[in-house]
Amino acid sequence: MSRDQIFFIVFFVVFVAINIYLFGSGSLSADWTGFGIFIAAGITLSLYSFLYKDNPLFKFAENLYVGVAAAYTLTQVWYTVLLADVVIPFSELDSESMSNLWLIVPSLLGLFMLTQLSSAKFSWLSRIAFAFVVGLGAGLAIPRTIAANVLAQLEPSMRPITATWEGLDLLIILVGVVTVLVYFFYSVEHTGPVGVASKIGIWFLMISFGASFGYTIMARLSLLIGRVGFLLEDWLVLPLPYF
Amino acid sequence: MKEFLLTIDRRIIFIFVALGVIIPSLATVRLPIPITEDVKAIYDTIEEVSAKNGTILISFDYGPGSMPEVQPMALAVLRHCFRKNVKVIGMSHWPTAVGLAQEAFDIASKEFGAQYGEDYTYLGYKPGGGSLVINMGRNFHDAFQKDLQGSNTTELPITKNINGLANFDYVICLAAGNTPDGIWIPFGQERYKFKFGLGCTAVMAPDQYPYLQSGQMNGMMGGLAGAAEYETLIETSGKAIAGMGAQSFVHLIIIAFIILGNVMYFLYGRQKGGAQ
Amino acid sequence: MLFLRRTLPLIIAFVVGMIGILVFYIPHSGAQSLEQELATWDRIVAAFALVLGIYSLMRLHWSRVRRQQAAWGYSFLVFVGFVITTLFAIYNDGIGPFEPQVLNSGPFDWMYKYVQVPADATMFSILAFFIASAAYRTFRARTPEAAILLISAIIVMIGRVPIGASIYQGLPEIAQWMMDVPNLAAKRGILLGVSLGIVATSLRIIFGVERSYLGGGEE
Repeated sequence: MSRDQIFFIVFFVVFVAINIYLFGSGSLSADWTGFGIFIAAGITLSLYSFLYKDNPLFKFAENLYVGVAAAYTLTQVWYTVLLADVVIPFSELDSESMSNLWLIVPSLLGLFMLTQLSSAKFSWLSRIAFAFVVGLGAGLAIPRTIAANVLAQLEPSMRPITATWEGLDLLIILVGVVTVLVYFFYSVEHTGPVGVASKIGIWFLMISFGASFGYTIMARLSLLIGRVGFLLEDWLVLPLPYF
Repeated sequence: MKEFLLTIDRRIIFIFVALGVIIPSLATVRLPIPITEDVKAIYDTIEEVSAKNGTILISFDYGPGSMPEVQPMALAVLRHCFRKNVKVIGMSHWPTAVGLAQEAFDIASKEFGAQYGEDYTYLGYKPGGGSLVINMGRNFHDAFQKDLQGSNTTELPITKNINGLANFDYVICLAAGNTPDGIWIPFGQERYKFKFGLGCTAVMAPDQYPYLQSGQMNGMMGGLAGAAEYETLIETSGKAIAGMGAQSFVHLIIIAFIILGNVMYFLYGRQKGGAQ
Repeated sequence: MLFLRRTLPLIIAFVVGMIGILVFYIPHSGAQSLEQELATWDRIVAAFALVLGIYSLMRLHWSRVRRQQAAWGYSFLVFVGFVITTLFAIYNDGIGPFEPQVLNSGPFDWMYKYVQVPADATMFSILAFFIASAAYRTFRARTPEAAILLISAIIVMIGRVPIGASIYQGLPEIAQWMMDVPNLAAKRGILLGVSLGIVATSLRIIFGVERSYLGGGEE
């Protein structure tokens, strides 16, 4: 038996022993909630076993999750769109709600989309649906992106600069925005004044990438804290002072 | 020792990280949490909405993968709203948020006796992103004809007078993806000029500062630390405040590793091309 | 046939794209109604797109099971998770799939709470370990630029957690200033660049220059 096999057998035995104790002592209730916490803890630890190395326990939990998550999304699409916005309006069609007939168009387009995976004879129909979604998406995005993410972002960069600390901050922001844009402007060779500006742009970018990296570490650790909190508090039922 | 540090097995670092989270979770040390202006702005806006007995919209756009960061924000904001009689309508751009949002409503409404249909309702998930927001803009009842419990939005007391996004006194997006800058601001806030606040994962937070300065967003909670600030403001200790001890401690551990890595690099690594 | 397969989709993309742009600038109620209607259609088609995505995922795993490819057992597990959860969704705690969804009780909710939530949350938290290890191995002040990046990350990591203020009172303020000023400037520069890129790509789609959405295959 290899070292890894021994490792996972020990892991499994310890997990079972702990749960026998938890159920036996009444820490986990003998109902669906208690059973659920037991399963959730098993899945959590199976996934963490990846930290030792990739193994069947990890793959088991991972693949089971993929199936459940796909079904969950499909369920939401059914109840809130296909049932609420398509099936019910059609089933309640009467003289007053004839405008609902327009829903035939998107429903047909939606069905066209599903031909994507059918035989070549019909799959071209899906192109019509994709053309509608992609074309409309592009059209709706253009004016809104210009208004919200370009014009509305330029205006505060060009506020009058005053001889105060706030004014200095505004000046730094203006310099930062301009030099970062210069750095991304590849059509001109980065030498002379352009080279100096792009160099300053890089410093601004480095500060912001550093900040993003620090925040990313923070985010991942918060997720870990959440899972550890679950294992310690909900599963092992340890008295955590602040959880 | 030098060889050990240069070729350290990553699993040893893993153990340090694990202990750095587990030990402070069991300890009773508690650090004071300073409040930032960005978080206070959301708190203050909800107080203002409360003064005029208003209604807010919360968009739950996250999933279990970011639950430890964002769910405490959802609970803290809902608790604040229900305590101050602010009416809340919930919805989601993410399908996986539905169960989490429902759970947050269940917990907070029970604590403060908030009534379904009168004080809150949850509309569930709809796909479409920008198109959904366009529909909600002018024709809210068409975009969401029923809530998740099957009640007609034209009849439910909390939703019957909401005709479009401009009727909301505040819109808060709780996000783990591009819904604030990709959907809510360009498709909603830009046209209807409603007050817009954000609670987001720490990964997203640095990207949102341009919107804070431009006023397109009036406040932001970033990551678990942002959630802990909100819990501090409403004087209700939740999972975010609880996690701050571990968060502080494990940050110090990682910084210590970064410094150690650099010391090793400057002492030996440069000749050897860095540790392997 | 070429007209139906290629020209018609390009015409549709052009027409709906132009309508999408124009209705934004026309305050007339007719234009607004058209925008509302198109947005409604888009939402419904988007729902079918999700169904298509899930169907193609399941088809991939089904073909692995059918051909008994290496590790097909795991693909079978995807099916097990999918089928069980779907059956629970149809059961809908006893009232069936044509009534409103039951969310806070029943087996469907159980699958979400005790399988999906822990699995999804844990999967992302595993990255905490790898990012810590990567920080030790690769986060080196090799150049002045790398040193700026490193110092900025460290200031944020200490300044944004409660212990920062305990170490030095001014740290949270320094971190806040960094986020509010130099970080903001760089992020705005990137945002402007990306937004102009989105506008350019969208125009290319509308004018039929960019047609990758049509997919490959015969024209």
